Amino acid sequence: MTIDRRDILRIGGGFLAGLASPRHLLAAEAVEIRMQGKADGSHVWFDPIGLRIQPGQTIRWINLDRGNSHTATAYHSKNLERPLRIPAGAEPWNSDYLLPNETFSVTLTVEGVYDFFCIPHEHAGMVGRIIVGQPGRSSAADLSTQAAGGETIPEIALRAFPSVEEIMRRGVVRPA
Amino acid sequence: MRIAVATLALLSAFALPAQAADQVEKAPPTGAYKKVSELVKLPDFLPGLGQLYVDPTTLPAGPFLAYDRDGRLVSTVYMLPIDDLTNKDKRFDDLAAPGGKVDHVDVYFNAGHPGVEKPHVHVVLWHVPKADETRVAAK
Repeated sequence: MTIDRRDILRIGGGFLAGLASPRHLLAAEAVEIRMQGKADGSHVWFDPIGLRIQPGQTIRWINLDRGNSHTATAYHSKNLERPLRIPAGAEPWNSDYLLPNETFSVTLTVEGVYDFFCIPHEHAGMVGRIIVGQPGRSSAADLSTQAAGGETIPEIALRAFPSVEEIMRRGVVRPA
Repeated sequence: MRIAVATLALLSAFALPAQAADQVEKAPPTGAYKKVSELVKLPDFLPGLGQLYVDPTTLPAGPFLAYDRDGRLVSTVYMLPIDDLTNKDKRFDDLAAPGGKVDHVDVYFNAGHPGVEKPHVHVVLWHVPKADETRVAAK
């Protein structure tokens, strides 16, 4: 996995993300996940909330919420002691807070299921799931329950993940 | 005579409540208030609220003082976590209200943001008429 630094959209976050991992540039196009929210802050979400990509493909998060900050943070013990919900051997990422129009990119190479969340909005159910290639050994049952170790995931977040089956079937799952 | 006047002035000063000494009409307010966008990573101007200041020792409830783009106070905001509002043993008593006359009040849910990460309720005491809420609207 390759992680680039945060960049402001107007200077071309996607282009810089490509430069950070030139070997993958031709493998597949970057895919965007938008961080969004209602104007009064009453509802926040990732769009799409579920996504299937190929190994080596780059994901770029962009904050399109004018009145809030968001993060894209992998479920991993290195991130606020959260339980592991990315493939063993994959590097975790944490975008830190992105202000409106800021972006953050990672390139995922290890196949499997990656769950991520927004730090200030995990308790509001702002989570997402990416499947790289094949989901591997993680079963749907494992992913729908609390993982052992680490901080407990709020139930609202646990219920918000789209199923592996739905992501594999549709490729892209938009928020309800 | 000079001593009497000085004594009266001193007594008057001590008679004033501490919060009344804070200037809050124009940004930045005096006293312990800090700009929220300098305490946590949030946009400096929040559409619908404005530019916020808070005394960090009062978090999460506040009061947060909200100003328009010209630095004029428009509202006082309290942020009350849902968990606390549903806890029978938790109370919010004697919250400061330094903003003066209240024209109307809005209460609504907020999913969270840096500084108050858990879902909470915004209680907004507007110091301006409804029509002037546009002073903190998105551009």
